[in-house]
Amino acid sequence: MAAGILVWSECPALALELLGKARRLADAAAGEVSLCISGDVGAAELEVYAANGADVVYVTETSEVDAARWASVLGVVIARSRPSLVLIGATKAGLEVAPRVAERTEAAYAAWAVAIEIDPTTGATTASCMVYAGAGVAKYRFSRGVTVLTAAQGAFEASELEGRAARAESVMLPNEMPEITVLSQRTKATGGARLEEAKTVVDIGRGVKELDDLEMIRSLMSLLDAQLGCSRPVSSDRDWLPEWLGLSGVKVKPELCLTIGLSGAIQHMVGIRDSRVVAAVDNDQDAAIFTQADIGVVADLNEFLPVLIERLQARGARPIWV
Amino acid sequence: MKILALAKYSLDVAEIRVDSASGALRMTGVPQRFGDLDKGAVEVAVRLKETSDAVVEVLCLGPPAARAATKDVLAMGADEATVIEDPYDGAADAAVAARVLEAAIRKRGPFDLIICGFASDDGYSHQTGPRLAERLGLPFVSYAREISLEGGVLMADRDLEDGIQTVSVPLPAIVSVAEEAFVPRRVTLLQAMKAQKKPTNMWSLEQDLGLSEEALDKVSGYSVICETGIVVDRKQHMLKGMDVTEMADLFIDMLVEEEVLALKGGG
Repeated sequence: MAAGILVWSECPALALELLGKARRLADAAAGEVSLCISGDVGAAELEVYAANGADVVYVTETSEVDAARWASVLGVVIARSRPSLVLIGATKAGLEVAPRVAERTEAAYAAWAVAIEIDPTTGATTASCMVYAGAGVAKYRFSRGVTVLTAAQGAFEASELEGRAARAESVMLPNEMPEITVLSQRTKATGGARLEEAKTVVDIGRGVKELDDLEMIRSLMSLLDAQLGCSRPVSSDRDWLPEWLGLSGVKVKPELCLTIGLSGAIQHMVGIRDSRVVAAVDNDQDAAIFTQADIGVVADLNEFLPVLIERLQARGARPIWV
Repeated sequence: MKILALAKYSLDVAEIRVDSASGALRMTGVPQRFGDLDKGAVEVAVRLKETSDAVVEVLCLGPPAARAATKDVLAMGADEATVIEDPYDGAADAAVAARVLEAAIRKRGPFDLIICGFASDDGYSHQTGPRLAERLGLPFVSYAREISLEGGVLMADRDLEDGIQTVSVPLPAIVSVAEEAFVPRRVTLLQAMKAQKKPTNMWSLEQDLGLSEEALDKVSGYSVICETGIVVDRKQHMLKGMDVTEMADLFIDMLVEEEVLALKGGG
């Protein structure tokens, strides 16, 4: 059975990663890969999507990331192309669109996929998905016509191939009145830090109480040649940093991840557990972070960090790669 | 006005241990409670009740043990709670849970506003809000931070991936609350005592909702082949109770040993 795979994410980098995985699955099962996107698609864009694995690019005019609208678009494309698998990026928008699509198409849906296989003879999909907020992985066998899976950035790799071609098809939607009126929108500050490539990450949690403390942390970062990451509350609640590390955020694998004032909640640890060395500083000796760290320091941040900075300087300590 | 808060009696995932030899998840003894996200949904409902004439109900698909815990959310200010006894022991697929919740909402409703966490603490799959929006045909405002009601219109700030969006929507509607956006209030002893007298209904799938487990079993469309835990194998060296300078030096020594740091002149 030919396995058609449909890919959608509003995040371009994530869409290419899912395309890469879809291409590898489709090649093994002799299927077609389609991508759904919005906006104008010229010859140059089509070439990029083709190189990244798409056979068909469905183009729609929806510009806003409105989950209900995107669920309608994907519903139309699914009815037209009848894929056996739909891969959606596990962003906030994607995680809202996927269950909506599952309800509309009666598809089976599982979130947080980290591995996917399609049986070349039966066409049946199996997938390993993170469960219990990342504490475990469950392997599922799907038995339905359409399977929907979401996967986060970093779960799969994009891959480019030359000499591939794709065709574009437009998707027209009936005019639906949006259910929700958008009154205003402000963009969060962008970080620009290349967290995924950093060799050292300083990862701050709610234990870092004052924005002024960041100055001290930045001195430490410059000594350690580090980039700054944080937990979701620090990003979402306080708006200090645009990106967070964790299950729903960025995943890093540096040589050293130094957590400061971080409790060690599993949703967050998913983002840093591939670090080679994890070191943690926190004042609560019972914090879960200490069972998940190689080196733990139980201390008040404002007492320990200034002394650590002073000792690093006095002893001329530098990362070995600097 | 009637407001419904959905609250899952969820596993405390921080207490899930993994057998490092077999990789098996040790699920026995993992405590269950209404998580902060679920209590956050109740918190929003109670705050809205304080500025309007709303009646607040709480709905939970959970084990019989959840009955006692409903007194915690009733103490926060909710008026009545309903627990649907969960034959799946908390492990129901979100598609199944949505059908059960939908049936209960239709029976107890109509509600002007339904509030839930953006995800459950244990499943964390972000599905209940969107699925109910589809099934009930209601507008859905996800990841809300600020929420207010005026003249039958709900206003909210949505915490999106790259921005904050202010939206309005006429009721009835469903709202999911963002993480940490609404810290659940502490309750007084008096509130806790009063809550004991507030009603908690215990419902069963078949008798009260007319649903059959057999039919629901066919809904999810997948089966579990196996479940394994992610083994965290860290060295767990601890530095505590020492002079901070001593700890800083030992910390640096350990990072040198781990080949992360190098010292000038090797000292």
